[in-house]
Amino acid sequence: MRFSFTLLINFLLLFSSSKLFAQQNKPILPGSVKGILRDTARNYVLKSATVSVYKAADSTLLNYQVSNNYGEFNFKNLPPAVWLRIEVSNIGYQTFNQNFTIPAATNFLDLKTLIIKPKDINLKEVVISIPPIRMNGDTLEFNAAAFKLDSNAVVEDLLKKIPNITLWGDGQITVNGREVKNLLVNGKSFFGGDTKIATQNIAKNALEKIQVYNVNENQEKPQDSVLHMNLKLKKGKDIGYFGKIGGGYGTDKRFEGDASINIFTPKMQLAFIAASNNINKSANSIQNLIANSTFKGAGTSTNYQPDFRSSGLNRTHTGGIDFTYNFIEKPKYNSKKELKSSYFIQNKNSNDLTKTETTSLLNNASQIVDKNENNNSTVSTNQTFKSDFNWANVNQTLRMSQTTTFNSGLSNTKSTRSSENAQNIVTSTNNASNKNDYTNKRFTFNTDYRLQRNYLKPNLKFNGFNINYTLDIFENENNRSNLTEFISFVNAATSRNFNRNYQTTTNGINQSLGFDFNNLKSYFFGKAKLAGIDFSFNNTLKINTDKDINQVEDLKVSTGRYELNGYLSNRLQSNLIDETPGLSFTKSFNKSLSNRYYKYFSINIAAKQKFVHQDFDSEKSVQNIKRNYSKFVPTASLTYSNNQQGDFSEYYSLSFNTNVRLPSINQLAPLVDSTDVYTVRKGNVNLREAMDRVISFNFSHNDQGNKNTFNYHFTISGGIINNAIVDSTLIDQQNRRTIYTINTDGNKYINLYGNVQKAYKLKNGELQLGFNTNASISKIPGYINGAFSFAENQNIGGSLTINYSLKSFLGVVFEQGISNYKSKQLSFNHAAYSGTNLSSMVSTVYNVNKQFSLNSNMTFNTSKSQNAAAINFTIWNASATYRFLKGNNAEFKLSALDLLRQNNSVLNYGSGNSFTVGTRNVLQQYFMTTFSYYPRKFGKK
Amino acid sequence: MNKLTSTLFIFFLTFGITVYGQVAKVDSSTMVTLRIDPENAKGATVSQIFEEVEFIPLETTKESLFGSISQLSATKDHFVIYDYDTKSVLIFTKNGKFHAKINADLMKSEEDSKNENSFYGFQLVNSGKQEQIMTRTSKYVYYFDFNAKLLQKKLSKDVKYEQFNTFTNPDYLIKQRYLKTDGKDSTYHEIAIFNKDKEIATYFPFSLDRYKNDQYMGSSKIYNSGNGNDFFYGRPYDFNIYKITPDKLSLAYRLIFPASVSLPKDFMTNETYKNKRLAYFQKNDQLFYSLSDTYKIDNLLFLKMRSWRFDKNKKDALIYNLSTNEITSIKDIEPDSLSSFLPITDAGAFYDYQNRGIHLFKDQNFYTSYSSLAMFTFKEQSAGKNPHYTTVLSNYFKTQNKKSNPVLIRLKPKKN
Repeated sequence: MRFSFTLLINFLLLFSSSKLFAQQNKPILPGSVKGILRDTARNYVLKSATVSVYKAADSTLLNYQVSNNYGEFNFKNLPPAVWLRIEVSNIGYQTFNQNFTIPAATNFLDLKTLIIKPKDINLKEVVISIPPIRMNGDTLEFNAAAFKLDSNAVVEDLLKKIPNITLWGDGQITVNGREVKNLLVNGKSFFGGDTKIATQNIAKNALEKIQVYNVNENQEKPQDSVLHMNLKLKKGKDIGYFGKIGGGYGTDKRFEGDASINIFTPKMQLAFIAASNNINKSANSIQNLIANSTFKGAGTSTNYQPDFRSSGLNRTHTGGIDFTYNFIEKPKYNSKKELKSSYFIQNKNSNDLTKTETTSLLNNASQIVDKNENNNSTVSTNQTFKSDFNWANVNQTLRMSQTTTFNSGLSNTKSTRSSENAQNIVTSTNNASNKNDYTNKRFTFNTDYRLQRNYLKPNLKFNGFNINYTLDIFENENNRSNLTEFISFVNAATSRNFNRNYQTTTNGINQSLGFDFNNLKSYFFGKAKLAGIDFSFNNTLKINTDKDINQVEDLKVSTGRYELNGYLSNRLQSNLIDETPGLSFTKSFNKSLSNRYYKYFSINIAAKQKFVHQDFDSEKSVQNIKRNYSKFVPTASLTYSNNQQGDFSEYYSLSFNTNVRLPSINQLAPLVDSTDVYTVRKGNVNLREAMDRVISFNFSHNDQGNKNTFNYHFTISGGIINNAIVDSTLIDQQNRRTIYTINTDGNKYINLYGNVQKAYKLKNGELQLGFNTNASISKIPGYINGAFSFAENQNIGGSLTINYSLKSFLGVVFEQGISNYKSKQLSFNHAAYSGTNLSSMVSTVYNVNKQFSLNSNMTFNTSKSQNAAAINFTIWNASATYRFLKGNNAEFKLSALDLLRQNNSVLNYGSGNSFTVGTRNVLQQYFMTTFSYYPRKFGKK
Repeated sequence: MNKLTSTLFIFFLTFGITVYGQVAKVDSSTMVTLRIDPENAKGATVSQIFEEVEFIPLETTKESLFGSISQLSATKDHFVIYDYDTKSVLIFTKNGKFHAKINADLMKSEEDSKNENSFYGFQLVNSGKQEQIMTRTSKYVYYFDFNAKLLQKKLSKDVKYEQFNTFTNPDYLIKQRYLKTDGKDSTYHEIAIFNKDKEIATYFPFSLDRYKNDQYMGSSKIYNSGNGNDFFYGRPYDFNIYKITPDKLSLAYRLIFPASVSLPKDFMTNETYKNKRLAYFQKNDQLFYSLSDTYKIDNLLFLKMRSWRFDKNKKDALIYNLSTNEITSIKDIEPDSLSSFLPITDAGAFYDYQNRGIHLFKDQNFYTSYSSLAMFTFKEQSAGKNPHYTTVLSNYFKTQNKKSNPVLIRLKPKKN
């Protein structure tokens, strides 16, 4: 039933869209008009002048064009027998206006030659001309005033109105098919750079124009230029504020409240924000919070909705300040001086209940089952303070940043576990209670300096260098107590009781210094060709020092006191020095034919040698280990790009990388904590480093046409790990695992990711199709009870998204997602597990009028697993929103969440030789009333 | 970006002016001052300015495919083209049929296979009985006939690098970048006039150091107006047009532009500009920094001004009527039936004319070119004018596409 409903929705969507395509092919309105623009004073035609057609009665913009090389324009799709007005504007000329009607009999009108007069500098022009579109040098400009929108419209509404611009469902913006890499407001990034913050808050009426232009930060590679979009605010509107204050209360004592205020001036941006709720809405950064409190509101977007899928019940209180100061009012990529700083605090109170059942396969083809129940409650406070200083001039950039975090919390976990053997007889149980009180502090400082060739001083031979340094200091303190009661029904002698306290302090200083000297050929060999091969030298030095102090005490029943556990109490100092010098060689070819294509091919091979010195100094002699590694870690890459002018651009890359994975002290010589009854991890001092060799391939295609662009890209990577560090597990009759780490070959993996996007501009709306897929396949070797086996894991997921908008009153998003896992033991009779999760989501927003809108969001979930019955549930959220006051500043909202009361968080996953199914406690049905007010002002007045 | 590369390209290829100011005896007695406001230039139709327009599509084959025309020469039977994209010289017959190609492959031989064989232009040289195409690589100078057959090669160091133009009387010639040796001293001169081997006059001495100590943009090219005894010469940061005749160099025209596009008066003397000129033009991108494409046909003075600004509609290519003082904007010459309603330049839509200008003036004809992409774009835009195409053009539009080779355009100016 559920599926047939999904199909029905699918069908309806396909049907409606095919109808829309049909409409697109046939012009809806039959009228057309043409003409030529001429400057008779100077006797030539006007090229690239803007010609706009408006409805004469209400000045609604119907269409616009830029005159061609013959000074001609030609409009189609205009209404006949209606008074229209044509407006011509061009720099240095007076605006030309003329009313006309297209005769219904012929549906065609030739306006012949329109005489456009040069601007008389002595006369002030009465009518200020605002052409919708204009080429200003190499900048494409869209004038906001030419597009008539509701007085409460924001920039996003304007972007949707402009035929050359596509605003994608995921927030990406493309102009004539090309992706906008950077959205700026008056030349600067706006409250952290999330495009939504600018497009959904800034009033359309505060905007003068949208400017689109190419920026090429690397003068030596013109093909690397990227598209920027700048929102130029009207004069005097570059100072103002916007924000939100809102609160809601609902059934089951559900509440939410948030407040934010964002202030901006030509040089400064300052945001204060606070939010509090118990409906699983959590934002992990200030930007995220600002982005989710926009004036425009969520529309069909599903971000920052109560997360019905997240586990547990969470109550969060969040607050923060974000500050940006630009020392240069109009920064450019080559002239910038900016300081950013932010503080973020989040207090979270969460409660998690999980019930799971894990089935594991043994080598004799029998299965054992572990049943687990976990109850966790955590109270935590996380604080982050960040600052970032950016400076750039024509050929230098400097970046300095620091992050300080301070996290503390208290968590209580109670768990019960029972293990059953193949005959479903309980062999052991375990009850554990853990209390954990922690404080983590961390300070990270990073600085990066780059010197590039100065293209304004071409005589200089020096090609520049990069240098960067990172300092990372941390201190973690942890007080934990553990009560464990393990009862064995198989061997009573192995039953245990523990009451143990842990006091752990970890602190460390990690430093990393890296530098690159690029394009050294000309520096050392002058103009010598050397077969066109250039080379660079780079070096990375890392020095890490970590100290771990563990103080462990056990309750001695006889005395009733805690006494030191001499085995687990320990001091361990780890030192690591990693020095990696490298020499890389590059040869590049490019081939171009003017006005046709530009192709670029480059090969890079880098030889790197990694020297590592590892030194563990411990109170426990078994952990006193010194090791030296010297490994050759080559990398290689091929890149190819093909840019066919006006058609498309394609990019391919193939790369090879070598990674060394060093065994950790816990893999070499761990101290085994007996309270973890079910898992005993044994070390192996003979472990060697694993070598991971990866090949990855990347392909992307971007259309450069300006209509219905089709873009796709995919990435595939595969690797083989030699001497992989894997587990050899021994499982006893009470399902207790003793794990030894060993080296073995044969660990392989493949990861795939693909993405396809296509947009159709329709007469009255837009249709966007998106398809995403990801897959990972891995083969992991290991031993189970002494028998060698490969576990073959396969995870495949995909989603199809259809985004449809009709003018500004209807938005529909349909999303179909699927994820599937398969796990196979290659030696145990090829025993296999599999499971599938399916979800279909339909989200609709219908704006009844400018004040009132309805929103519905329905997700159908199906969770299937090989050995358990399928679980189906539907989450349906709906809301009605009413905006009032003059600027629509106030909002009243009624929401009903999980209307069908079916939410049921299902766990279904597999790995290695086991699979797990289970449930968690989740947010369930509630109703809420919310009131919000959006204070906003652009300009001083 | 196009503009920047082309300016830098020009910068690298050319050499600039002296800062010493010791200009030797430039005769300015016949100088004419012209005031030019480019914004007031007028339009005209193709047939008002030209009496013949011919589109010569350059044949596209697998071998002849090239990018754009960086250098063009015409002989009695052939067009010779240098293409920077493919680093080759292409020889076409006068009707555009591909004839032969000279590229680095032809210069490979066993002994110098390690050498880079790229070359960046060609020279037509007269070896007594026949014209030859000379190309220069870092090691050798090669001589080819018009069938791209290698005739001989010499070591580069044995063939003096000289740019020269000959007058009607071939005994008289102009040498550029002439190294004059006087006892122990030797000095470069931008221009030297010779009668056979006898030096008649030298002008604008300079030291090679000036390229290290300062920045130069703009070309120092000699333009031949067809009259075999008058050449025009222009220098960077200078709006004078110099005339070179077999006996002397003289100042022919002094151009005055509106202040908004003119260089500061102290541009060459104020030390603050030194070595910062590129940055200055980048910042003041409306300023003209040099002249190019200067030709005089009867009363018409053709010229082009260079600036950093990227604007396809700027009025920077002009015809100055010396008798009526009227100015015509070349970019705004309107296509009519004489040109089958195709524009004579790609200005306003593409950048070939902006970047390259007029390739050549020879036998009373200008030669310019634009891409097939432009040809097909203009054909589409002019469909409503019912243009009449010549057989050559009809065939071209039928058999070729927007990725075909560029089209050469021959323009014969009207005589007043």
